[in-house]
Amino acid sequence: MAHPSDKDDPAAPVVSRRTFLKTAGVGAAATSLAGVAIPAGAAVLGPGPVPLSLKINGAVKTVNVEPRVTLLRALRNHLDLTGAKEICDRGACGGCTVLFDGEPIASCLMLAADAEGHEITTVEGLGSPEAMSPVQAAFVEADALQCGFCTPGFVVASTALIRKNANPTLDDVKDGLAGNICRCGTYSRVFEAVQKAAKASARPAGRKA
Amino acid sequence: MSQEAKPPEAPTVTFTVKAGHVSNPQTLEVHAAEGDLKPWDLDSKLRVVKGRQPRLDGKYKVTGRAKYTYDINMPGMLWAKMVRASVPAGQIVKIDTSKAEALPGVKTVWTTDSRSVRFAGQDVAAVAAVSPEAAEDAARLVEVTYDEAAYVTDLEKAMADDAPQVYEPDKVPGPKDVPKKGNVVGPTSPRRGGNRGDVAKGFAEAAVTVEETYSVPVHTHSPLETHGVIAKWEGDHLTVWASTQGVLTVRDGMAEALGVDRKNVTVITEHMGGGFGSKLAPSATGTAFAVVACKLAKQAGAPVKLMLDRREEHLCTGNAPSALMTVKIGAARDGTLTAVHYRSFGSAGIAGGAGTGGPAGALHGKCPNLKIEEHDVFTNAGPAAPLRAPGHPQGAFALESAVDEMADQLGLDPLEVRRKNEASPVRLIQYDVGAKAIGWERRNKKAGETAGPKKRGLGMANGNWYVFARGSGVGCEVRIHRDGSVEYFSGAQDIGTGFRTAMAMVVAEELGLKTTDIKPNVGDTRWPEGPASGGSNTTNSVAPAVRLAAHDAKMKLFAVAAPMLGVKPEQLDAADGKIFVTGSPGKSVGFKQAAAKMTGETISAVAERKKQYETYRGDLAGCQFAEVEVDTQTGVVRVVKMVSVNDCGFPINLLTTESQIIGAMIQGVSWALFENRVLDRNVGTMVNPNLESYKVLSAKDMFEAVPIVTEIANAGNNTSCAGIGEPCIVPTLGAVANAVFNASGARVRALPITPDRVLAALAAARRG
Repeated sequence: MAHPSDKDDPAAPVVSRRTFLKTAGVGAAATSLAGVAIPAGAAVLGPGPVPLSLKINGAVKTVNVEPRVTLLRALRNHLDLTGAKEICDRGACGGCTVLFDGEPIASCLMLAADAEGHEITTVEGLGSPEAMSPVQAAFVEADALQCGFCTPGFVVASTALIRKNANPTLDDVKDGLAGNICRCGTYSRVFEAVQKAAKASARPAGRKA
Repeated sequence: MSQEAKPPEAPTVTFTVKAGHVSNPQTLEVHAAEGDLKPWDLDSKLRVVKGRQPRLDGKYKVTGRAKYTYDINMPGMLWAKMVRASVPAGQIVKIDTSKAEALPGVKTVWTTDSRSVRFAGQDVAAVAAVSPEAAEDAARLVEVTYDEAAYVTDLEKAMADDAPQVYEPDKVPGPKDVPKKGNVVGPTSPRRGGNRGDVAKGFAEAAVTVEETYSVPVHTHSPLETHGVIAKWEGDHLTVWASTQGVLTVRDGMAEALGVDRKNVTVITEHMGGGFGSKLAPSATGTAFAVVACKLAKQAGAPVKLMLDRREEHLCTGNAPSALMTVKIGAARDGTLTAVHYRSFGSAGIAGGAGTGGPAGALHGKCPNLKIEEHDVFTNAGPAAPLRAPGHPQGAFALESAVDEMADQLGLDPLEVRRKNEASPVRLIQYDVGAKAIGWERRNKKAGETAGPKKRGLGMANGNWYVFARGSGVGCEVRIHRDGSVEYFSGAQDIGTGFRTAMAMVVAEELGLKTTDIKPNVGDTRWPEGPASGGSNTTNSVAPAVRLAAHDAKMKLFAVAAPMLGVKPEQLDAADGKIFVTGSPGKSVGFKQAAAKMTGETISAVAERKKQYETYRGDLAGCQFAEVEVDTQTGVVRVVKMVSVNDCGFPINLLTTESQIIGAMIQGVSWALFENRVLDRNVGTMVNPNLESYKVLSAKDMFEAVPIVTEIANAGNNTSCAGIGEPCIVPTLGAVANAVFNASGARVRALPITPDRVLAALAAARRG
C-alpha cells in the first residue's frame, strides 16, 4: 500500500510498532506495520496515550492509553476490571476471555483501539457477588473452581456457549471450553456446572444465562 | 511432621476414641496434651464437618471480584520487569542499563552482583517504570555481555566423566558421607522408609525377577497466576502482597535479605492463583524477584509491582526433577515379593533434591528385603522446587510399573499381587472400593486381547503419603461480636484448596452455627501464625487450633448465656443457632440473643495448636484405577475413566476434598500423557516456555473422574483430619501406564506416553 516515494520523504509520518493505524471508512485496521508509510486517508494514533471510548458492560468508558495497549490491559490496568487474566499472553489459555459483541474472544490478542464501537462484556458484567448469573451460581454450587484464577475465563466462555446452545451435550461443553485451561483440574465440575446452568436457564421461569 | 512416639513430657489427658475405618473400628487411647479437646472420632455426631460446603469465596471468584496479587494496583505504583540470562553457563562481562535508564518513564534499575551464570533464565537485571509497556521496553534495552562456557542440560550426559562440571560442592554441600563424583551425588536413601533386610538374599529366594528402567522428564509447575509481588514501603515498614504458599516464609525471607526486622514486614495473600509447591520459597527457587521488587520500591520511593511472565514462570520458578529409575524386584510364583532394589538418578538442575524413593520405602510393606539408592545429578537448568508430592509420582510410576510387569510375567492379577504384599489395612479396604467402582473384572486377562484397532484396558497403581502437621506455634483467633456475627483469623493462606471454607466449617461445628455465618480472614502475617502450605499440612496444622479457639470463644459466650438460663456454663451446648441446656433442648437462648448480652463489643479467643498424636497410622493410603483407550494405528492414548480412592483422615469439607482429588487425577494424567519441559541441547534454553507447546490437559482431553474418600478417624489431632493435596497424585502415572499396557500390550517406560512411544512399544511387543 505504501508508495515508494513516501520512504524518501523524511516528513512523511511512519508507522512504528508503538503507533496505530486507523483507516477511515474501513472497519479493519492494520497494526504492527513497523516502518511502513501511511496510506492516504488513514489516521495515526500515538505513540503517546490517546483517548479511546469503550463500551464496557453497557456503560461508555473513556481510557487514555497508548495505541499498542491490548483490550485486556486497558480493562485491567485502566478500568479496574481485573476479572479477566493475562495468563499465557498469546491466546492459548482462555483466561482473558471477554464477550465482543456477544462472541467470546481472547482480549490479550486485541488492541483496545480495535474495541471502539463494539459491545464488550466482562465477567464483572455478567453478575455480582450479591446477584450471580445462573452460570456463576452453578459454578459455586458445583465447586467448579479451586484457585479460581482461570474461573472468570471459564464463566464467560460458558455463558457464551449456553447462549448459543441452550441444551449442550457433554461433548458440546468440551468443545465450547476447549480454549480454556485450568491447572488445578476442575474440568469435570465445570462441565457439571455448565449443564446445570443450561437447564436452569432453559426453564421458562429461569433467568437468562 | 508427625512426631516420634515417645514418653509424654508435658501433662497429658487421656481420651478413649473409636479410630480407624467404620468397617473396622479400633478403640484406642490418646494421650493428648492438657487443654486439648477429645478428637472427633467414629462416634462423633458431626453436623457440619464432613459435609459438602460450597466455597465461601466462590461468589467473589466467579464474578471476577476476588483480588489476587496480580490484580492489585495502587496509585503511584511502578511496574517492574526482569532481565534474565540468555545463556546457560558462563560469566557476565558487562550489564549496560544506560539505554534503559534513558527511556522516558523508567524510574530505577537493579543489576545483579553475581557474575556467574549457571542456567538460562537466571536473574540479571530489572527495571521499574510507570507502565508495564514502558518496563517491557526498558528491559529489552538492557544490554548484557556474556563470556559463555560449556554446559550440559541432559541428565545422562551430565553423568559422563567428561561432562562440564555443574555441581558446586560449596553451594550444595549435601550429606557428609555421601559419594560425590562429577555431577553425581549419591547414593542416598530417603528420609522415611529406607532399607531393610538383605536384597541379595531376597533375589536368591525369588522364583522370578524383573528389572527395568523407567524415566520421567521435568515437569514445570505452571500455576496460572505467575509468581509476583507488590512491595510498598512506608518509612521502615514494608508491606508485601505476594502470590505465595507461605506468607511467613516471604516475611522472614524479605527481612533477612533486606536487613529489616521481621515485625516491620507484613505479607498478605488474600487469594492465590495456584502454586503446587513452586511458591514455597521467599521469592522462588531460581530467582530473587521478590527481594528485587522490594529494593526497586525502596530506590524509587514508590510501590512496585513485579509479576513474572509465562516464560519466566517456566524458566526460574521451579520444576519437578527428572527421574531415571531402575527397579529390580523378585517374587515367588504366588506373587509374594521377596526383594525390591530401587535405584534412581534425577536432576533438579543446579540444585539437589531429586530423590524419588519414597514410594519404594512405603509401599508393599510386607516385602522383607528393600534397598533404595537415590542420586542427584546436576545440570545447567533452573533449580527444581517441590511439586505436589515431591519425587513420589515419579517413584510410584517406576515401582508400580515394575510390579505390574511382575504380575504379567507370573500370569497373576496385578491387584491380587498388591493385596498379597499389602501392609496397610486402609489400602486393603481401598482395593475393594476402587475395583468395584472401575469394574476391575472388565480388564483384559491377556494384554491387548480386545479385537479391533482401538483397544480398551484397565490398570491400577498405589500411592503413599505421610501425615504432616506443624505441631506447635500454629494459632487461630475466633471473635464473636455483640451483633452475633463471628469471624476467625488465621495467618495461613488459602492457595485454592478451600482452606478458608474448611476452617469456617470447624468454627461453625463448634459454635452450632451455619458455615455461612462465619467470616474467614486468612493469609496475613499480622494474624496468628499458620504453616506454609506444603506437604499437605495446612488443614492438619490449623484445624485443631481453629477448633480450640472456637471452643474457648464458645465457653466465654456460655458464661454470658448461663445466667439467662439459670444454669452453669458447663451445662450448656450449642446447635442450630441456639445455646441450650444439655439434655433439655427446650431450655435455650438464641446465639444472637446471648451475644447481645456480652459486656464488651467482642469476645475474642486465641488458641495454639497442641502436638500431633501418633495414634492410628502416620501414613496416608491411596490407590487409583484407570481405564484407557489406545488407538493402535495412531498410538494415541485417551483416558476414559479414573477412580481415585484416598485416605485423608476426616475430610473437613467433602466437596472441596473431592475437587482436590479430581484435580490430582487431571494433573497426573497431564503428566502421564503430555507434559515435558524441552531444553534445547544446542542452545541450552527451554524451547517450550509457554502454554501451547508445553501442553497441559485441556477440556477436550477430559475423562470421567471419580473421587472416593476413605474416611479414617486417625485421632492424630482433635479434628482427626490429615491432608489430601499430595497423596492423590502419587498413583496416577503408574495407573495410566499400566492401563495402556493392559489395553494394548504396549509397555511404555518413558513418560510422557506419546503416540510415537506407544507405536514403538507395540512394535517391540510384536517382536516379543
